[in-house]
Amino acid sequence: MSESILKVEGLKKSYGKLDVLKDINVDIGEGEVVCVIGPSGSGKSTMLRCLNMLELPDGGRIELQGNEIFGAGKTHDLDVLRREVGMVFQSFNLFPHMSAKQNVSIAQVRVRDRKKKESDERSVELLGKVGLEDKVDEYPDRLSGGQQQRVAIARALAMDPVVMLFDEVTSALDPELVKGVLDVMRELADSGMTMVVVTHEMNFAREVADRVLFMDQGYIVEQGKPDDVLGNPSEERTKKFLGLVLAR
Amino acid sequence: MEVFFNTYFDFSFMSEHLDEVLAGFWITIKLSLVGGFFSLLWGLILSVLRQLPGKIFAPVRWLTIGYIDALRGIPLLLVILGLSAGLATLASEGTIPREIGIPQWFGESDPFWYGVIALTLTYGAYMAEVYRAGIEAVPRGQMEASRSLGMSHGQAMRFVIVPQAVRKVIPPLLNDFIALMKDTALISVLGLVETVQTGSDLYSEFFNPSGYTLGAFMFLIVTIPLARLVDWQIAKQDAKFERGIP
Repeated sequence: MSESILKVEGLKKSYGKLDVLKDINVDIGEGEVVCVIGPSGSGKSTMLRCLNMLELPDGGRIELQGNEIFGAGKTHDLDVLRREVGMVFQSFNLFPHMSAKQNVSIAQVRVRDRKKKESDERSVELLGKVGLEDKVDEYPDRLSGGQQQRVAIARALAMDPVVMLFDEVTSALDPELVKGVLDVMRELADSGMTMVVVTHEMNFAREVADRVLFMDQGYIVEQGKPDDVLGNPSEERTKKFLGLVLAR
Repeated sequence: MEVFFNTYFDFSFMSEHLDEVLAGFWITIKLSLVGGFFSLLWGLILSVLRQLPGKIFAPVRWLTIGYIDALRGIPLLLVILGLSAGLATLASEGTIPREIGIPQWFGESDPFWYGVIALTLTYGAYMAEVYRAGIEAVPRGQMEASRSLGMSHGQAMRFVIVPQAVRKVIPPLLNDFIALMKDTALISVLGLVETVQTGSDLYSEFFNPSGYTLGAFMFLIVTIPLARLVDWQIAKQDAKFERGIP
């Protein structure tokens, strides 16, 4: 396998008595696209949120490019970690008081210390890449959900992250807007970006993923090539879940 | 009815003493603007201190909450009297410099500055609660998105959370400003001749309460448009955030 980007060992997380993540182990290599599937409440989103410490794990270890960022109950250099890890949310979370361009520029200026002109040029370039060259000066409330989500992707990309995390990014979109967002993600995958994608889009997982993880009740139950996990699952729980999802 | 009218609405008395009441009202305006400015600032600082994250800042949060609770629970009049008496005593004993104990900055009298400080201490606490409501009304995802981009908590507050929070709370802050403006009258206990004290002086001298009426008019000329402005702002926000149910 290529160089490890994210390495997770024995990750645990509970909310009170509810154990959401019980023992998560996964190693994600450079350029790999990993899709995470599983039923509601299986811990997929929580795992993703632990990867950039939006949730503090209760135990285990996380390494980013060989450097420990969480271990023995302690975090290290959170702000450094987060600027290297891009995250896109289900609910977009664009800054409503800023234009699309400002949304993409603000962290470049404040976190990456880029000059305003340089960061604006980069923002316009990235917004063009996600098909929004004519929307750079629009405010989020004037954009459709799909357009907002593409701005959010551009915003995360502007930090030049080493890995991008996607948390059910098409789940809040109207059906006809999903394709535009998935196309952007597909292009990103083709360009060699390392990606961890929590999704319900089975076709996307089948076509784009290098590896599919199936999670249930806080464990990774099964993982492997998309054709194997989605086409010929070996675990009973995976079969049952796919039966329910693909029967739609 | 006519007696009532002649007692309170003696227009010739009013026009005769318009200059004096206007001079008093000018003090009221200055006190409101200066006190209002510092209250807005102090309130914002308090609300941000109250939202500092993590275990390390727990004592700061507790102190801030304690301060806000205390100042919201003590009458402003008591703050005015206690503060001026305390500062004046300390200055006369030489414990603190005279320029601080008996402040007469920028040509304004010491009661004026005691008033500004007391208003700031009390209204800062009120406004901190208003700001807090605004900060808490900003969706959680905004902080998460900011932090996930590598911004610190402070940067996220400064560039993302507070700008949105302030827009949401402009109407309630204006309400507090109206209340503050009316409460400047309390500083007359220190001998500051603002609008109400001017009316009182005129009554003592001429046994005619129309000076009070004139003062009341002057307050209304400012506060009624402000109240309309508040309603207009709220209506504007409602129109923007929800279309309403037909």
